[in-house]
Amino acid sequence: MAKILIPTPLRQYAGGAKEVDVAGATVGEALAALTSAHSDLKKHLYNDEGKLRSFVNVYLNDEDIRYLDRESSAVAEGDTLSIVPSIAGGGR
Amino acid sequence: MLTLNAGAWSAMVEHARAEYPRECCGVLLGHLDPADEDVRTATVAIPCRNAYDGDQRDRFFIDPGDQLAAQKRARVEDLEVLGFFHSHPDDEAYFSATDLANSWPWYSNVVVSVRNGEVAGAACFRADEERTRADEEQLNLPE
Repeated sequence: MAKILIPTPLRQYAGGAKEVDVAGATVGEALAALTSAHSDLKKHLYNDEGKLRSFVNVYLNDEDIRYLDRESSAVAEGDTLSIVPSIAGGGR
Repeated sequence: MLTLNAGAWSAMVEHARAEYPRECCGVLLGHLDPADEDVRTATVAIPCRNAYDGDQRDRFFIDPGDQLAAQKRARVEDLEVLGFFHSHPDDEAYFSATDLANSWPWYSNVVVSVRNGEVAGAACFRADEERTRADEEQLNLPE
């Protein structure tokens, strides 16, 4: 099992959970297990084409999965996945 | 309603002044009222690098790695990530269209106005689920 840490805004869609234990050999499988258990999370993580939304970052332990093998990145027992919001902006 | 304690506010002011005329940015940690999560108290403001690759006088981007570190610190210290802050150099403390388009709902977003290098005011905003609108949230600064 791996652990997925849920950021505060999304906890309301995960039954209030701060973290969820999931099975899965890859990041994609682990996230699928999460959204299968908490279907309301799906639209907040994925776009209509089924791709991870651009403003959603996923870290496998301390590594951004974009710099690993993205959703095909292998997940080992005891790994931690973190969902990290992308935040930007600016005046004018 | 977001209340900033003295330590959090002074860290934000210091970061905003130090980064001027560039925009500063950072993460706010604190507590939610157990009875009402709209009642929030920020006790820690973590200054982050502005990771925007371009003119930072009117743009910011919080490095996700810095956010991951802030999330870890929040767990260790039994705090929540309440939201974020950034500055508008020589501009008002408002939530711009760029801010809205690149925000997340639920979080409190404090915008600090900096004029000629000195903090001139602050306001707080929260985006709706669709990022189509932001409402001003009551912001309580320390006396």
